[in-house]
Amino acid sequence: MIDVFTSAGFANVVLTHRYDCFEGTTKQSTARRYRVQGVNVSAIRHAM
Amino acid sequence: MYARVAAAPDGSFHFHRGPGYAAARLGYDETELAALPLEVTSSFAGVANPHAIGAIPAGAVVVDIGCGAGTDLLLAARRVGSTGRAIGVDMTAAMRARAIDGAIRCGLTNVEVRAGDATHLPVDDASVDVVISNGVLNLVPEKERAVAEIARVLKAGGRVQLGDIVIGEVLSDEALRDIDLWTG
Repeated sequence: MIDVFTSAGFANVVLTHRYDCFEGTTKQSTARRYRVQGVNVSAIRHAM
Repeated sequence: MYARVAAAPDGSFHFHRGPGYAAARLGYDETELAALPLEVTSSFAGVANPHAIGAIPAGAVVVDIGCGAGTDLLLAARRVGSTGRAIGVDMTAAMRARAIDGAIRCGLTNVEVRAGDATHLPVDDASVDVVISNGVLNLVPEKERAVAEIARVLKAGGRVQLGDIVIGEVLSDEALRDIDLWTG
């Protein structure tokens, strides 16, 4: 996702937080196995 | 699936829902959530917390892509205040109905909810200060197009505050083809 925003010309693309959003769900084991996490990403649109 | 989340959020799903989950696992403010109608927050199905990235300023124009029943949208509307606007976009009619009803019940007159999707935002060019979204872009096959739409609607210097999911492992072809791994 960071790559997609960076390639689109966004600046300061930063992953700011991580969350174990699948803990306690039926997909917990899949999430752990493949390290699937919720994340926050911020980015700034460049002046064109 | 998301129409089902709107109609019956207590049903069986492979992801968490509701205000308790949002507060306990994602760090949402319990008091702010409690001030929203339960019909809105019970259908919350986000995976992160875009509001934790930074304060959305008063007077800002915010777009919430895939606003669902409106939890993030209505929180944003409260933050931007009467001089700002919060525009929700969602492709699911049942979710839009919940978000509109929630805004009315909260007395928020600065909320608009529009039909659309991430690759076709019904929003003018360079008209938005902050784009938020929560657990939506991972569901969009055309991610580059969705990000191009975000770039189109944002003003220069505008900000993205996005919540979504990432995978920390390189997936084998076998894992990629195993639909049971990724669906409920």
